[in-house]
Amino acid sequence: MKFRCERDVLVEALGAAGRAVANRGGALPVLSGVRAELEGDRLRLTGSDLELTIAVDITVAGSADGLAVLPSRVATDVVRSLDSGSVEVSVEGDEAHITSGRFQSAIRVLPADEFPRLAQPTDDAVTLAAADFAEALHQVVPAASADDARPILTGVLMAAEGHGLRLVATDSYRLAVRDLPGASILREGQSVLVPSRALRELERLLGGAAEVTLRLGEREATFEVGGVRLTTRLIEGEFPNYRGLIPVSHPNRLTVGREALAEAVRRVKLMAREPNTPVRLGMSSDGLELIAITQDVGQAHEQLDADYAGTELTVAFNPDYLLNGVEVTPGDEIVLDTVDAQKPAVIRANGGNEFLYLLMPVRVS
Amino acid sequence: MPPQDDPPACEHMFVHEEATIMHADLDSFFASVEQRDDPSLRGRPMAVGGGVILAASYEAKAFGVRTAMGVGRARLACPGLIVVPPRFHAYSEASRAVFALFEDTTPLVEGISIDEAFLEVGGLRRLAGRPVEIAARLRARVRDEVGLAITVGIASTKFLAKVASAVAKPDGLLLVPAGTELAFLHPLPIERLWGVGPATSERLRSRGILTVGELAAVPGNALASMLGRGAAHHLNALAHARDPRRVETGRRRRSIGAQRALGSRPHTPAEIDTSLVALVDRVTSRMRKAERVGRTVMLRLRLGDFSRLTRSHSVAEATAHTPTILMAARALLESSGPLIAERGLTLVGISVGNLVDERAVQLSLPFDAGSSGALDAAVDDIRTRFGTGSVTRAVLLHHSPSLEMPLLPD
Repeated sequence: MKFRCERDVLVEALGAAGRAVANRGGALPVLSGVRAELEGDRLRLTGSDLELTIAVDITVAGSADGLAVLPSRVATDVVRSLDSGSVEVSVEGDEAHITSGRFQSAIRVLPADEFPRLAQPTDDAVTLAAADFAEALHQVVPAASADDARPILTGVLMAAEGHGLRLVATDSYRLAVRDLPGASILREGQSVLVPSRALRELERLLGGAAEVTLRLGEREATFEVGGVRLTTRLIEGEFPNYRGLIPVSHPNRLTVGREALAEAVRRVKLMAREPNTPVRLGMSSDGLELIAITQDVGQAHEQLDADYAGTELTVAFNPDYLLNGVEVTPGDEIVLDTVDAQKPAVIRANGGNEFLYLLMPVRVS
Repeated sequence: MPPQDDPPACEHMFVHEEATIMHADLDSFFASVEQRDDPSLRGRPMAVGGGVILAASYEAKAFGVRTAMGVGRARLACPGLIVVPPRFHAYSEASRAVFALFEDTTPLVEGISIDEAFLEVGGLRRLAGRPVEIAARLRARVRDEVGLAITVGIASTKFLAKVASAVAKPDGLLLVPAGTELAFLHPLPIERLWGVGPATSERLRSRGILTVGELAAVPGNALASMLGRGAAHHLNALAHARDPRRVETGRRRRSIGAQRALGSRPHTPAEIDTSLVALVDRVTSRMRKAERVGRTVMLRLRLGDFSRLTRSHSVAEATAHTPTILMAARALLESSGPLIAERGLTLVGISVGNLVDERAVQLSLPFDAGSSGALDAAVDDIRTRFGTGSVTRAVLLHHSPSLEMPLLPD
């Protein structure tokens, strides 16, 4: 294998594929490497930890086809250290030579025949606008759990809903739901559970792209953005039945400017110094008052103009969960619907129905 | 607290008015655990160590075997010394069990190391009796439930309590009554004071200062010229039994637990379950009283062959809800069923960790509805009004309502 390409292009491709490379290879040492396959002028770089696989295609000036597995960390560090300009890579025997200007290096490669075979996706594809899908991920993925003890909640549910696609994630304290109307990719009633880790990586890849192609299979989901293909194993299991949790009636409705509320929460939460100190929202016909108190540290109040219809009520929330919900809700005004101080609250855009953020209060006494 | 007679003399001005500080210190800790677990080592000179001695049994200490001594030298001093390799897991397990008893004795526990702690038992008189009675009960429980000897010193200051336990060793209990601190302290050799090592000892002894009383009589300036100002100040205070430090519990406790020795006869699963129910009930009601909730349920077992095991499980949401904790505890017990059937069970304990303040609990979405705290609240309320035994679980009927000593709030 031998090719020549721009240093900047190669750095970016190695970096993207490298994000799926397992730490230290795990059980399979060859997985600490990036598989490089050259056919004509097309170089495909693939990193995988068996759960997540990222393959990047770039165009290079190829002079000899071939296949090799380069140690990811070393190869990336070496190429990144070079000045911009042309880089030559050639593999002979068990060494890869990386040459640029007067710099030369020889890196021992990993056994290419041990790299797992990765199947080509055959599922039906649907193409969406990258910006819409990126926005949906930005809204939903943060609500997924990071606790590996509850694997189901580390996933994002993608389900057919009406004639569109619905994304749902919850860490059991809050739940985010986003509908993408018109994106009919799954059969009615079909759903898949995609690891949030893969979707965080996908979010990074979507910036600046025009389109994303989705293939949702039985065991794997594949996303293609530009020359990058990301494949992830799906999580098996039953996502909690969230539908029954969304309150149907809302005796109390607060309508408030989104940015004003976000700013106020950011300021007031500075006085919520202990891990589980909540921010209290006092809602009355006078508007909204935010309060945070940490014993022996201090307190903060802020009064906000807001419309409120309902009985006078104070509800406490984890400030980070609240702020996240407010930040990812679209529109200039949001509505906060509450039942009482211990039932789920709902945040939506005023007049918008495509996104919903369900948030459990903090019980204070 | 009974009224004191005359106010203490000015020398005593930093001394607490009552002896309520306990220093509890396990005797030859590592060696005692080995002797406990291997009957062939009992009554014989033995030590735990590799290249050096980490701990020596009292039988070996009698031959002059000391901690940190090289094994070769120890064998010279004590021919026939048995040296076993350390089993740190067993020691930390024993330590946890003993500290659980400390915490069951008083909420004010300041751990110093794996095998010693200060306990403040002032204010427990109406609930648990005088400090001497509390200490005697603690020593009995450590012996019965953990199988180890522990020495307790009781005094009005931390320093004196520690000196008292050192004097009382092994397997002893010594009270230095309030008002007699100096009479106790002054005849002791100066080496008993914290901070008097070989160098200081040498310097003082060369000037004819052999006892704490003689040290106390040396004017501060003269002592400072001998030892430097810092050391002089420190030793002068100790020699006058001035030690204002309180028992520091540090941060709020991270777990609440209780355990019960079951005796060595065989137990039916139903009997074991009954004990578990009682323990969970006790722990969760203590948690609710302390306004704490926790996620991690830990089951601690001692089997008939004295081996120990712990199993833990984390529930979804921090709780003090009795049925939720009991369900987790029962599942843990069930997973150990085959081992219990094979070896028998002599002690069961339960604790709940990862405690957080119940006054601000992040609620969870009710994916699995149906768990409610209403019953617990009602039971707690009745117990508060009519006493602990007024309401109990049906399986606990006809069982002695409480074999455990009363507790301060956590």
